[in-house]
Amino acid sequence: MTEKITLADALSNVEVLDELSLPDEQPCIEAQPCSIIYKANFDTNFEDRNGFVTGIAKYIEEATTHANLNVLLDEGQKHAVMLYTWRCCSRAIPQPKSNEQPNRVEIYEKTVEVLAPEVNKLLNFMYFQRKAIEAFSGEVKRLCHAEKRKDFVSEAYLLTLGKFINMFAVLDELKNMKSSVKNDYSTYRRAAQFLKVMSDSHTLQESQNLSMFLATQNKIRDTVKDTLEKVVGYEDLLSDVVNICVHMFETKMYLTPEEKHMLVKVMGFGLFLMDSDACNINKLDQKKKIRLDRIDRIFKNLEVVPLFGDMQIAPFNYIKRSKHFDPSKWPLSSSNAISPQADLMVHLPQIREDHVKYISELARYTNEVTTTVKENPSDAENRGTSDLALRGLQLLSEWTSVVTELYSWKLLHPTDHHQNKDCPVEAEEYERATRYNYTSEEKFALIEVIAMIKGLQVLMARIETVLCEAIRRNIYSELQDFVQLSLREPLRKAVKNKKDLIRSIIMSVRETSADWQKGHEPIDDPVSKGKKDPDGGFRIQVPRLNVGPSSTQLYMVRTMLESLIADKSGGKRTLRKDIDGNCLMQIDTFHKTSFYWSYLLNFSDTLQKCCDLSQLWYREFYLEMTMGRKVNKCMVRHQHNEECKDLITMEKRIQFPIEMSMPWILTDHILQTKEPSMMEFVLYPLDLYNDSAHYALTVFRKQFLYDEVEAEVNLCFDQFVYKLSEQIFAHYKQLAGSVFLDKRFRLECEVLGFNFQSYPRNNRYETLLKQRHVQLLGRSIDLNKLITQRINVNMHKSIELAISRFEANDITGIVELEGLLEANRICHKLLSKYLALDNFDGMVKEANHNVLAPYGRITLHVFVELNYDFLVSYCYNAATNRFIRTKVNLSSTQAIQREKPPQMSHYYLWGSKQLNSAYSTQYGQYTGFVGAPHFHAMCRLLGYQGIAVVMDIILKDIVKPLIQGSLLQFTKTLMIAMPKSCKLPRCEYGSPGVLSYYQAHLTDIVQYPDTKTELFQSFREFGNCIIFCLLIEQALSQEEVCDLLHAALFQNIFPKPFCKENEKPEAKQKRLEAQFANLQIVSNVEKIGTAKQAMIAREGDLLTRERLCCGLSIFEVILNRVKSYLDDPVWCGPPPANGIIHVDECSEFHRLWSALQFVYCIPVRGTEYTIEELFGEGLNWAGCAMIVLLGQQRRFEALDFCYHILRVQRVDGKDEDVKGIQLKRMVDRIRRFQVLNSQIFAILNKYLKGSDAEGSNVEHVRCFPPPQHPSVISSSSSHYQDPQKLRQSMNN
Amino acid sequence: MSGAHREAIQKQIHQDWANREYIEVITASIKRITDFLNSFDMSCRSRLAVLNEKLTTLERRIDYLEACVTQGETLT
Repeated sequence: MTEKITLADALSNVEVLDELSLPDEQPCIEAQPCSIIYKANFDTNFEDRNGFVTGIAKYIEEATTHANLNVLLDEGQKHAVMLYTWRCCSRAIPQPKSNEQPNRVEIYEKTVEVLAPEVNKLLNFMYFQRKAIEAFSGEVKRLCHAEKRKDFVSEAYLLTLGKFINMFAVLDELKNMKSSVKNDYSTYRRAAQFLKVMSDSHTLQESQNLSMFLATQNKIRDTVKDTLEKVVGYEDLLSDVVNICVHMFETKMYLTPEEKHMLVKVMGFGLFLMDSDACNINKLDQKKKIRLDRIDRIFKNLEVVPLFGDMQIAPFNYIKRSKHFDPSKWPLSSSNAISPQADLMVHLPQIREDHVKYISELARYTNEVTTTVKENPSDAENRGTSDLALRGLQLLSEWTSVVTELYSWKLLHPTDHHQNKDCPVEAEEYERATRYNYTSEEKFALIEVIAMIKGLQVLMARIETVLCEAIRRNIYSELQDFVQLSLREPLRKAVKNKKDLIRSIIMSVRETSADWQKGHEPIDDPVSKGKKDPDGGFRIQVPRLNVGPSSTQLYMVRTMLESLIADKSGGKRTLRKDIDGNCLMQIDTFHKTSFYWSYLLNFSDTLQKCCDLSQLWYREFYLEMTMGRKVNKCMVRHQHNEECKDLITMEKRIQFPIEMSMPWILTDHILQTKEPSMMEFVLYPLDLYNDSAHYALTVFRKQFLYDEVEAEVNLCFDQFVYKLSEQIFAHYKQLAGSVFLDKRFRLECEVLGFNFQSYPRNNRYETLLKQRHVQLLGRSIDLNKLITQRINVNMHKSIELAISRFEANDITGIVELEGLLEANRICHKLLSKYLALDNFDGMVKEANHNVLAPYGRITLHVFVELNYDFLVSYCYNAATNRFIRTKVNLSSTQAIQREKPPQMSHYYLWGSKQLNSAYSTQYGQYTGFVGAPHFHAMCRLLGYQGIAVVMDIILKDIVKPLIQGSLLQFTKTLMIAMPKSCKLPRCEYGSPGVLSYYQAHLTDIVQYPDTKTELFQSFREFGNCIIFCLLIEQALSQEEVCDLLHAALFQNIFPKPFCKENEKPEAKQKRLEAQFANLQIVSNVEKIGTAKQAMIAREGDLLTRERLCCGLSIFEVILNRVKSYLDDPVWCGPPPANGIIHVDECSEFHRLWSALQFVYCIPVRGTEYTIEELFGEGLNWAGCAMIVLLGQQRRFEALDFCYHILRVQRVDGKDEDVKGIQLKRMVDRIRRFQVLNSQIFAILNKYLKGSDAEGSNVEHVRCFPPPQHPSVISSSSSHYQDPQKLRQSMNN
Repeated sequence: MSGAHREAIQKQIHQDWANREYIEVITASIKRITDFLNSFDMSCRSRLAVLNEKLTTLERRIDYLEACVTQGETLT
């Protein structure tokens, strides 16, 4: 591209980017998400020092040494990382078992090959420490020179020396701790010696030195101490270093937590180095050279500081180890009181308050910045913003320190099973330091503080560009104003009073940093001649730019100014006296504020450092201690003895389980407690992994550490999603269960004093459910999707369980099944607000196995239950309209075996244990019977298709085999046993006579062994089938009516409105129609929708309207089908001999039924079960239905034996015991059954009559001519005699 | 130090300030571009996630309907 774009264009292009709207729907509850990080680092490490030739030469020189020292410090950091991240290699290397082993040479060769580069690092480390100690002691020697001592040493310089002291302390501790380094080196050495690799004396010597260096504890520390002690007056310099640390610590002149901790470590180690034979720190204290009481307080407040990674140090331990340690000088540190750093709860209220205050201030500022455009903010505004940024960084740093300090303290003070009851006796060291070492409140507090840190970091990073610009503008203006304006006064004085040193320093300051408006200093400035300004004042226009000083420039300015105000330049007259107080104050203030400028100018870097909590994950120190093994001790509860020692086993592993890892401990704590106020913070502890991984990649630069973090994240995140989705599902299920719970039931519970708290505690899952891109280790995770997947599965399982439960129960379970499905539907509805779950009906179909097969599990189970349980062992009672289980099961089929439902957690059922028991009580009431609720539930669950199937199978597989099988067989058998003819005895015999007549004639039937068992059982089954079909149709009709009424309003169908006398119903109807016009589906769809939609609407409407209008009845069809099964001649017998009717002959079915009715009307004795108890009314229904279908109803009613007894008894009213039968009781029974029979006949006839609607009103009456007397036939005259004629003949 | 020399140095320092400001402006602009890219990334991810969700729903729906229609055999 050759096209040239001007800078202004390019910048405005960037400006335009802000105007693009980039909506992101999700609430921000995670740490700063960034795919790209851009960091510009302008720190030159004094590389550009020669550019500032106008500076004072001494400080340029100092900058050179500074640069070199910084390089050494960086190198030291690298060695520290190398030591800290050292993992034992020798354990993985096979050792030759004996000298005869053939491949031992090969093993040794490989060992040397593998370890050589590692050993090389150790060699470098040894040389480095030597070099560093030399450099350090060289500097000390130079500065302690008698002449030099009088000179002033800058704060930055002392601080660098302090950093060296810190470095030595860290390296020494790391070297002491890492025994694996020593082991690896000795493995290497053994191999190398065997192979004679180290042949020349130099290498041998070097190797010897290295192994001595590694083996000697505290080697670096002691060397430093020994070297320093040779320098005369080194303690003065060190006390300066310590003092500056104390000063900086107390005035909070540090920003990152790391610097803060460094200061404390330097105090401890510095004092340790100072205290020697030649020098006693207690005496220095007396001379007020150092202030031990102040240090004592610092050491108490910060008892433990992080040394490196998970290594901690108590700085006071250095003091304890020093030669002249005197506990009385250290009252606070020596006491046993617990340091405030151990108690997070003390800090929490203050942190919260600061957080709220600062966040609101920042929010106000952010709103202002984003809503208003300001071209040129004033200096004051820039200063305000810059201050705001600085305060934010300080707060973040403070909170991060609190967290890391607590963590450090806890690591150094592990708990045990005495202090913490939850901590098992055999808990590991690391576990005792992390997992069991925090109370629940502490964990919550930690989470909260971490959330504040990460949250504020996001907010500040978001407006970073705005903040940075204000910071740069502010620093520029403050610096230029100070240099060009404020420094004029002291300069004038210096010129006037001929103070050349001061003048040259001030001039240098001005020349190194001033950015003059015209490119050079105003020539006619009276100050340069020491003269006063003219009356109108001398005007200097100070420019305004958006840039800060370079790092070297800032260093030069600050150091030179410091030399002006320093008051400790070793006995020599200070320059302070020659500057007037006011100016001194100004310079001092400038020096103090400019301390933070380097941090502010590197805003993004500082922000990241202030929020870095990566060290909460690292545990190399503890891994080193356990050497990758877990000790499993004897776990049997007994008096442990010698034998137990054999049981101690070592488990090999290279990392600790996630339960001991801080990020997961905190995450899991939220998940376990389900604390609503913490739920939205759950992603923040997970962000600690981001910190750690970032640290592994950028600071440690170790692939294996990153891999371990990654592996842990993989594990944790799976757990996290699993646990979270489980509890979200449980929560919403419980909510659904509670919503669905009967309100009156709940009220009753409350009245009875049973506090029924079924509603789950409100929780903030919504925010989590809205997360569609969570950043974790550079991956973007759609949390919503993951949870949706899992909850879909849960939902499915839940429905599956509902159906399985139904399958494990008898038919009564159908009511509970419906309830369960309904509760699941509510749960689905609640969740669908946030998640894209599958369609609920689809899910039910799938769980019901109803997608591919025409009949689902529910239908099949209903049928199975009907067939094997319900129809054969339930008794119907019309009074209650219910079936109940028979007392004695007479069915020939085996009792049905049902599979037990799988055991699942409470939330798969109703939501919670409480709800489960409430519902099981409620639905328990439906288990004793089968009635209307069950039939309604069946209708709703099976639908038309299911009902049709069930009925069809009932007819084909139950009714038909019954009628054409066992019933026919019995009928045939019993018809033979029936008397050939059986009259209706005359009334004169009296009722006992009639009864005994029948008793005698029917004795074969009464005594037939199978009558009261198998025969009645078959009839009951048949009867139950008929009643079932009838009731199911009734239920279905009610459902349909309900449906239609619900639909009516949308179809322009209204109930007839009530009208007063003078009102016109038509008008009122019209008004109603108009009022609800917007509800009418068809007309509205026609108006708004497409032609196709309109057609669909019309068809749907038609379907709904016409559904019931032809008054079709299932039951009628069923009866007709049954009728078709009754085709055997035995049912009707031969045609009557008289051509009209069988009167006394027993050849038709109704006669057999009369006999059976006689049997079941005989009252039972004592404790025997009555027929009703055993078979219910199904028996009667079966008989009556067959009689009606065979068209024998009238004959039955006229000729029935029992009815005859009843009629006779009605007349004579006798009561006797006829051969064991109590007549009165029998008659009562007969009466009851007569009523029942006539009811059944009425119902059946109503359904059957409905069919032949045309002409059904006229009964088909066959007219028989009256019989003729034989005598009349012979006289061939009509038997009819005219009464008139008869009278005449009489008279004649 | 001669006056002319001093003036030359002051000019250089002045130039240096201007240069560094130029660098700062460019750096700040790059920073803004990265900020933009980051928020663009977030926004896209969120929209793509919504789209993905819709597609997944449709896909599952089609699977279901296909199963309903074919009664066991898959459509080819």
